[in-house]
Amino acid sequence: MKKHILTFALTLFYIVFAHGGDPAFIASMQKQLAARKTITTYEESQTVINGFLRIADASASEWLPYYYAALLKTEAAFRFDIDKDKSLDEALELVTKAAKIAPENSEITALHGYIVMGKISLDPNGRGQTMSPQAIQLFGKAINLDRENPRAVSLMSQMELGMSKFFGTGPEKACGMARMSLDLYKKEDAKITDEYILPTWGKMQVDQVVSKCK
Amino acid sequence: MNPLLLLFIPFILLQTQAFAQATIQGKVLDEKGFPLPGANILIKGSYDGATSENDGSYHFETDLRGSQVLVFKFLGFKTQEITITLDQNSLEIQQIKLIEEITEMNSVTISAGTMEASDEKKAVVLRPLDIVTTSGAMGDIVGALQTLPGTSTVGNDGRLFVRGGDASEVGIYIDGLRVGNAYGSSTSNVPTRTRFNPNIFKGTFFSTGGYSAEYGQALSSTLSLNTKDQSIRTQGDLSLMSVGGGYAQTFANDTQSISLTANYFDLKPYQKLIKQDFDWERAPYGWDVELSAQQKLKKGGLVKVLARTEAGGMKLWQPQPGADGRGMFVNLHNKYSYAQTNWRNSYENGWSLFGGISVSSNEDDLVIGSTSIERNNLLSHTKFTAIKYFSDRISMKVGMEYLTHNYSEKLKTENQQRSFEENEKYLFTEWDWYLSKKLVLRGGLRAGNSKLANESWIDARVSLAYQVSEYGQVSIASGQFHQLPIENFRAIDPTIGNSKSKHLIVNYLYQKEGVIFRAETFYKNYDHLIRFEGSPTNPTRLRNAGAGYARGIDFFLRDRKSIKNTDYWISYSFVDSKRSYNQYETEVQPDFAPKHNFSLVVKHFIQAFNSQLGATFSFNDGYTYTDPNESGEMNSKTKSFENLSFSWSYLPKPNLIIHFAVQNVLGRDNLFGFSYADNPNEQGVFESLPTVQSAPRFLFLGIFLTLSKDKTANNLNNL
Repeated sequence: MKKHILTFALTLFYIVFAHGGDPAFIASMQKQLAARKTITTYEESQTVINGFLRIADASASEWLPYYYAALLKTEAAFRFDIDKDKSLDEALELVTKAAKIAPENSEITALHGYIVMGKISLDPNGRGQTMSPQAIQLFGKAINLDRENPRAVSLMSQMELGMSKFFGTGPEKACGMARMSLDLYKKEDAKITDEYILPTWGKMQVDQVVSKCK
Repeated sequence: MNPLLLLFIPFILLQTQAFAQATIQGKVLDEKGFPLPGANILIKGSYDGATSENDGSYHFETDLRGSQVLVFKFLGFKTQEITITLDQNSLEIQQIKLIEEITEMNSVTISAGTMEASDEKKAVVLRPLDIVTTSGAMGDIVGALQTLPGTSTVGNDGRLFVRGGDASEVGIYIDGLRVGNAYGSSTSNVPTRTRFNPNIFKGTFFSTGGYSAEYGQALSSTLSLNTKDQSIRTQGDLSLMSVGGGYAQTFANDTQSISLTANYFDLKPYQKLIKQDFDWERAPYGWDVELSAQQKLKKGGLVKVLARTEAGGMKLWQPQPGADGRGMFVNLHNKYSYAQTNWRNSYENGWSLFGGISVSSNEDDLVIGSTSIERNNLLSHTKFTAIKYFSDRISMKVGMEYLTHNYSEKLKTENQQRSFEENEKYLFTEWDWYLSKKLVLRGGLRAGNSKLANESWIDARVSLAYQVSEYGQVSIASGQFHQLPIENFRAIDPTIGNSKSKHLIVNYLYQKEGVIFRAETFYKNYDHLIRFEGSPTNPTRLRNAGAGYARGIDFFLRDRKSIKNTDYWISYSFVDSKRSYNQYETEVQPDFAPKHNFSLVVKHFIQAFNSQLGATFSFNDGYTYTDPNESGEMNSKTKSFENLSFSWSYLPKPNLIIHFAVQNVLGRDNLFGFSYADNPNEQGVFESLPTVQSAPRFLFLGIFLTLSKDKTANNLNNL
């Protein structure tokens, strides 16, 4: 009798907990991350963003859903023929929400800088002077928060490359940082499993910087 | 089989049946009933949901059962929630219409009578950076604003003159608090400039009339300067210039920043190299020290402090018409201090509060010939404002102000003094009503009381803006304005009261991707202007008996797109203004209101040389003056004013800027009027002297170095 009650209790336990909490969160995140790889139109991008926002609404203590929604809004601004400033502003709103949940987070800070870089690229003459210091400050902070974050180092190297072109100084510093970022990406690759939902993007951009260094 | 296990089987079967999915579907529309694609529909607390398609329809599956909340979300629209019961396999939801949320970024703004220089809002015509990079402005805010429509350049004065109004008709505010003696003290047709360095401001809001009920005591316009909320990084800024030098040290972290600046200028070495047309005994010189600090409070809110003290002077000989020799000796020494502190905070419940206090203290010691005058002016301003956003469509602003004004004038050798003590109280309220994203109405009332003049008054202000097309809008502003007379008149007769004016402004603004076009027409009438007998230096029988009008139209075009790496703007203003005021018995065109005013500003960036080149051309059709050899008042006009300026900013390294500028490159001998002898000579002719520029050209060279851990920091905004 005791054995059956125990089996019953364990079965109930399994039924109740297997469909809620962490595994469900990870499963939903993986579903949207997989969908992210197949985006070809703005509408598809909007659908995946909304998917992340639904997860964000349901999981108030998680920063990743807002992070990815912000990242997708930023990528949409460059990929598709839409109101780019508006999309980047919406990305800023979302990354700020992520930062409220997880302050002093290296990935969120690096993404914030990436969005600022995007805003600068839309009006370099008008915004370059005031927003470049902000972007550099954010990347510096992201590196300080996590020296192994390949994206923070890669984005800083892109800013360095831009500045070196503008002032006519050599690309050595930018190239050094880009190569360091490549090493960090390799290290990160080793950590990736099926269940890995932390950010892994950005390697293509640093490859481009390194190609200009040869 | 164990009987107990039999009991569990149905239970388990029931659970399995509960895992069959239910389909939810429906349509999302906007206010007008058109499909809304991209909306996010979800069940509260779960990950289940979908995005609406191009036709507004959506469908998704869920495992949940029972009473649930279905949420409809779309950025820019108000979220809606409905309660649903999931007890079938399929549920059809009624059509949902989402209502747009009105925000600052997506709605129309009142542009009539306003020109904003900031990075923040939509309808800005200038960026803060434009103020320091405009040729000919020499880093002076007013210098840059003079290239905008609605302003006149009065070269021998240097202050801001708006639409036929005198410079004293422009109220100057920093962070919403009044600044007394905002311009440096000057004399003898030596042009002045604003005391404050443009780099401390994040935004400039300049009105050409019809301004908000929050401001008053300015018949023509207000210039509202807003200081930076925080400095980004710790840095030191060194400036070495042909006219002096200075150093600023800033300390900054995430929640607070503090800056300490010291500057010294002396035109003596410069005047030794470049010949001057004025007869200087001692070239203008001065020093200033400024402290500014910002602190973010733990529970939200921001406190700012700004304090500045400066002193300076000049000595020169002013030739007199009809007399030989060097003329009258003029010696001016000035001491000025300004301090203010303010606090602001926004709350989740829709309230925003602001409180602040400012004090300005100015002392002028002036010797003109044998007369020695000491003037003291002390102004304090305390203000408290509350804003409440009732919804995204209606907001209200209320506030109260208290000003004290103490002024004294002493004739030192005769030991005579006249002075006054005044305090003023104000209450204001203003309401904004957004009927839609495209139409906004604003109405305000401002009540004031002056103890010294024993007067109370109330002003109404009404404005609206309507978006007529995707990129264009029309805006109208109107209102009444009161202003008490300038200090020297009130000291003679404290009973004289407010002058009044009424404005009506209609404006059309078109903005599309880097191009702005603005056309504005205005009508102002003036009443109760100050009239007196005698001369401006010795007025008698002061009374509010003057009247006048100003009307005209101006155009502005700015294009940052069409020509590569080039930013230019063109502005033209036509002002027809006449008034009877001061010593003028009839309605005349004032000497600060030329009819035709034109400016062209060009900035071009040359990547290969890390340089920005700039040029500014300013023109007006001349200033009126009275020639006593002819009959009538203001019966003559000078030749036209033309000024071509050129500047070159060179960035050899990220933290180093070299700036070179020349004002009046072509060396045109502009005239601002004539001064006449008091009595005719032996031939019965009143002799005259032209009022000229202090030198044919002004050259400037500056080197700006920024020292900080971040090697890419530079001083471009500190020019």
